[in-house]
Amino acid sequence: MTSSSGSQWTVRKVVQSVLKHAFLIVMAVISIYPVLWVVSTAFTPGETLATGWHFLLGFLPLPNSPTTDHFTSVFNLQVTGGTFADWLRNSLVITVSTVIASVALTLPAGYAFSRRVFPGRAGLMFSFLLPTMFPGVVTIIPQFLIFSTFGLVNTYLGCIIPYTVGSFALSIFIMKGAFDSVPRDLDEAAMIDGASELRAFWQILVPLTLPSVATVSLWAFMGSWLDFALAHVMLQTNNMWTLPLALYSLITPNYTYYGTFSAMSLIMAVPVFVVFMIFQKYLVTGLTAGSVKG
Amino acid sequence: MASSLASVLERLKASKTSYLYILPALIGLLFLILYPFAYNVFISFTNMNLGHIRNFFLIGFRNYSYIFSDPDFLVIVENTVIWTFTNVIPTVALGLLLALVLNSKVRGKTAYRMFLIVPWAMPSFITLLIWKGMYDFQYGVFNRFLGQFSIAPINWLGDCHWAFFSIVVANIWLGYPFMMIIFSGALQSIPTELYEAASIDGAVGFRQMRHITVPLIRPTIILGLLLGSIWTFNNFNSAYLITAGGPGICTTIFITQAYNLAFGGLLNFSVAAAYAVVAFIFLFFPGLLWTRYMGVTRQAT
Repeated sequence: MTSSSGSQWTVRKVVQSVLKHAFLIVMAVISIYPVLWVVSTAFTPGETLATGWHFLLGFLPLPNSPTTDHFTSVFNLQVTGGTFADWLRNSLVITVSTVIASVALTLPAGYAFSRRVFPGRAGLMFSFLLPTMFPGVVTIIPQFLIFSTFGLVNTYLGCIIPYTVGSFALSIFIMKGAFDSVPRDLDEAAMIDGASELRAFWQILVPLTLPSVATVSLWAFMGSWLDFALAHVMLQTNNMWTLPLALYSLITPNYTYYGTFSAMSLIMAVPVFVVFMIFQKYLVTGLTAGSVKG
Repeated sequence: MASSLASVLERLKASKTSYLYILPALIGLLFLILYPFAYNVFISFTNMNLGHIRNFFLIGFRNYSYIFSDPDFLVIVENTVIWTFTNVIPTVALGLLLALVLNSKVRGKTAYRMFLIVPWAMPSFITLLIWKGMYDFQYGVFNRFLGQFSIAPINWLGDCHWAFFSIVVANIWLGYPFMMIIFSGALQSIPTELYEAASIDGAVGFRQMRHITVPLIRPTIILGLLLGSIWTFNNFNSAYLITAGGPGICTTIFITQAYNLAFGGLLNFSVAAAYAVVAFIFLFFPGLLWTRYMGVTRQAT
């Protein structure tokens, strides 16, 4: 009696475990499948992939005779007056400026919301959160119209300014949360010992909240390095394009350069992917901190 | 007397520096988000379009009555609602299921996690274009796959219903890892003693699930549904990069409609602005709920 129920238990366990692994394996394959496809395509000769590849095991796409041609053609890419070097430079200038501006503006604001009590504090915090309720297009249309009257369309600033401001809602609250988690006694003690507020901030608070500073930088980086919607509107001549606009131009209804597209996708995505995997723990904490505390 | 005066001055001075810290960010917020928002509402009451880029004037609610009487409007409302629900529910369900399986006794969790997180870690702008390539009628991987079984190629992006299905599948793929991560976090925070106590009392399997797991992670499920709805409703990339709203308006939702009207060559800014306002009204209440739920505006410490 006992032994039979015991063996039944193990059969059930085995079935359960097989089902679990089957589910996890299927989901894992689905999760990486587009990446497998793009890697395979990047090494498949020819631009449109009509032939030149086959399925391994019936589902894994593999190039017949791998080539690295597409990677060299990315660097030689040009679209009527714009070159890869232009797009890389534009993307780097816009992204680096956005990250610096975002960190420089959100740290002091996060500090004030965390350490200071002043009239209008709650209202101001709410107004910084308000944009999370706006669909992006609500601001893109008027931003475009306003920027065109100031002559900022088709300039770096036309992207840097909106990207920086767009990062505020999340970043200010990530920094506020980070400063909240540092005991007040630490910076207050330093100030009693004669350190200026700026010095207490710079030498005590910032070093203790570096992971959050990194998270804020990363959000600003990703928002600007990969943005399409605003850049598509603001940057109008091919030599002002950023990398995402160039990538988008490679698959249009009229012509599809899948080979070059895939190679360029990998060049753009790999750095982001690596940084993301390193920081993912902080990213989730930053996003859900409020809900855990609230 | 003197000391109270000094303290008032002190507080004013302290507040002054507080405002100074926030001022640069506040200027950005005012001129780039709040003022444009108001300007958008204003434009929606004018006739600003290709013929009246500079010399536009107020025309009252005419853009709104135009939108509401346009037969396309109902299609777009329907698309937006279906888009939000067909994305959010499977995304949350799949994320929860994965989190539950990974939270149970199973070997190789870390390896599975690494793979499962890939759709979230890869930039969505790029993966969506990759999906577009995979859906390609002639050269795409899906039709080649079906071809192995002599199944006729499917016009993934050219057929109205398949196009909608295709972008939903791609967007679910983008969304479940994040849900899995937040649910894993919630599940790990449930003390194991609770399960042990329940087992001693004879409650196993589904009963543990119903009486311990579900009630304790309910707040996270609500958060997931809320965040998921806001993101999906607002997800320009997912609704635009693969199909650009097409074919026709088969996959057009509020925000892509507004974008296409303004920048799709028509320069119909006023009607686009009115669409954006309608989209904002749809989003406002879930958004308000979210900020309440996050509790971020509460007085901290």
